[in-house]
Amino acid sequence: MMVTKPRLLWLQSITCNGNTHSFLNHPDLFSILDHFEIVHHPALEGSYTFNDVIEGIVPCDVLILEGSFTQKGFLKGGVEVSSLIETYANKAQHIISAGTCATFGGIFKQKDPENISGFCFDLEEQTSRYEMYRSKLISLPGCPMHPKWMSYVLLMIANKKKIAIDNLHRPVELYGYTVHTGCTRNEYFEWKIDVKNFGLKEGCLFYENGCQGPYTRGSCNKILWNDTSSKTRVGTPCFGCTEPNYPQESLFRTKTNMGIPAKMPLGVPKRAYLTLTGVTKSFKIKRFTERLMEYDK
Amino acid sequence: MKSLKIKQLIEKIEGEAELDFTFNEGKIEDVRINFGFYRGIEEILQGKDPRDALVITPRVCGICNHAHLLAAVRAIENGYENAGVKIELTSKAKDIREFTLACELIQNHIKWLYLTLLPQIETYLDCKSEENYAMKATYLSSTITKALAIFAGQWPHSSYAVPGGVTCDPTYLDVMQAQSLVDESVTFFEQVVTGLSLDEYLAIDMCADFHRIGGDFGKLLHLIGSNGMTEIGKSHDRFIVFGESILSKPGKSIVTTVSRVDSTFVHETAQMGTVAKAVTYKNKLYEVGPLARGMVAKTPIVKNLHKRYKDSLLTRVFARIHEIATLLAHTKRLLQNLDLNELSCTLDRKSILNDFEGTGIVEAARGSLIHKSSVKNGLIEQYEIITPTQWNLSHGNKEEQGIAIKAMVGSQNIEEATFIFRTFDVCSVCTTQ
Repeated sequence: MMVTKPRLLWLQSITCNGNTHSFLNHPDLFSILDHFEIVHHPALEGSYTFNDVIEGIVPCDVLILEGSFTQKGFLKGGVEVSSLIETYANKAQHIISAGTCATFGGIFKQKDPENISGFCFDLEEQTSRYEMYRSKLISLPGCPMHPKWMSYVLLMIANKKKIAIDNLHRPVELYGYTVHTGCTRNEYFEWKIDVKNFGLKEGCLFYENGCQGPYTRGSCNKILWNDTSSKTRVGTPCFGCTEPNYPQESLFRTKTNMGIPAKMPLGVPKRAYLTLTGVTKSFKIKRFTERLMEYDK
Repeated sequence: MKSLKIKQLIEKIEGEAELDFTFNEGKIEDVRINFGFYRGIEEILQGKDPRDALVITPRVCGICNHAHLLAAVRAIENGYENAGVKIELTSKAKDIREFTLACELIQNHIKWLYLTLLPQIETYLDCKSEENYAMKATYLSSTITKALAIFAGQWPHSSYAVPGGVTCDPTYLDVMQAQSLVDESVTFFEQVVTGLSLDEYLAIDMCADFHRIGGDFGKLLHLIGSNGMTEIGKSHDRFIVFGESILSKPGKSIVTTVSRVDSTFVHETAQMGTVAKAVTYKNKLYEVGPLARGMVAKTPIVKNLHKRYKDSLLTRVFARIHEIATLLAHTKRLLQNLDLNELSCTLDRKSILNDFEGTGIVEAARGSLIHKSSVKNGLIEQYEIITPTQWNLSHGNKEEQGIAIKAMVGSQNIEEATFIFRTFDVCSVCTTQ
């Protein structure tokens, strides 16, 4: 007997295609997609053409949205992309907003902040579409989103399991952590030791170099990028790309008040932070002033 | 016979484009290429910290984001140099940047071969195979981007290149893993793409030896050759390269002469009816990309093909796939020569300039990519991005038709013309940043 698979449609709005390409990096891509019938995808072959999609005749159970939205002014094949997406959002049982643009508005929102937003959120605020789609909405912010965040959601859907989400519809199993969790520089964070310059494995990037890892939700240092690394592991600060207000200004510089980072690690009161800083800074620990390893010169 | 206009929506080109074909006497006489949505990255950058371009500009494009990062960092470094601050990168930093960029190009070309070219030619020639080309595409592209991510943290959208070098501080543990991933990619290229060892493949310098190429590349060459497609897709036969890389030095190639170029003669203009801007060099149109690099570098096999087939579809297709081999061999050498004792970043993070103007040029997968940053009082006053596809896909000027348009003109059917269009490795999002 033919078992019908849930039909998967991937639609793009104002985007760079970064989430499409991020997902193509998934090592188990085809076994995941095998749970679905791809009706249309921006890069992979599907059972319908894009012209069919525009005509509104394509069946859709799972809708993946990539890119930020404008209600008017972005047409594909003569049709407003917003109305196209609403057509399929109404048909779908599940809507996944892939990436920060589709979820909150992201980088492209900055071109026209009045009119460009995410699909169901505009930064952290609910858009007028929210009430209509809230029951089927999963948010996967990230610039781009991690391929394994997407596969987790798809496999939970394929296995008919309920995904626990937070108030912004992010799966708690993925966004319950901060990016700081699992960072290889954690010891330096604990002992308040800043990195001396870029290009060194020793030192923390939170104090001066703009790292937003301690207050950014995401599992980048738990589920590694390309199965191998992360920004902070290679000495690049976390830019908070999963957050509703991404991108902020001056991304390589930590905003400070009287030398103290202006933004505290998630949920940590300033008083607790200052007390701990006072204690740790009163010790000078030799190991943390040395290189982790030396090569014979 | 009166002329006939037909509109065609082209998908799977990093977005979509609409082509308006004008037929006359049964042949394509003109094409209008229309791209969708202007996203305004250049405007978004105005008023931001100059280093924010390292985070924002990769988001121009999901498939060539790394090239944008490197163009952005070079624009800052060039600006510092222009303002009198000497920046000397260590060979380690230079080689790591070159390595990660090469990985991105390999990723791009392999996706183009397997996600665009092979499926499209089989559709066009009505000889659909049961092959899962997408699986081949993603196997190699995810292997090589993993090697990239060892140094850059992630792909897509890394920001690991900073003024003065790179943020990573790799160990030999990293280098060995990267080497192994490159080896895996070489094995794939040998066993699946060409059916030849990398050395055997690279030794081919005449098209008379094409019969030795097997694998999927051999299959593609056979399909092009046996269906009368070797002579189609010719354009202005004029090529330009602005960036320096293992693939080519900067220069322009017209007929058999290669001469010097100066990026200050590049001119960008708005076009009617599309959000994409056109680019010219001294008011002339030039093709950029792998074929241009092969012609300017006088790569023997590309020159040999060109002698016989000019800038046809076959020469263009070959030049792009050929770069995969050149780059794979080069990435192996780069890793072998890395000296980890050198500094990753030579510029102190606290030396920040508040006023400068700089240009960054990179040879991206589709050709020369140019970023220009103009900074006043610590903020970006103006940012200009000229992408490779703007060269190849412009409408042209009063004197002549655009590069890709000229290549399609004369074709008798839309299916053939759109296949020719795709051989330029069209990127919709880069064209309309």
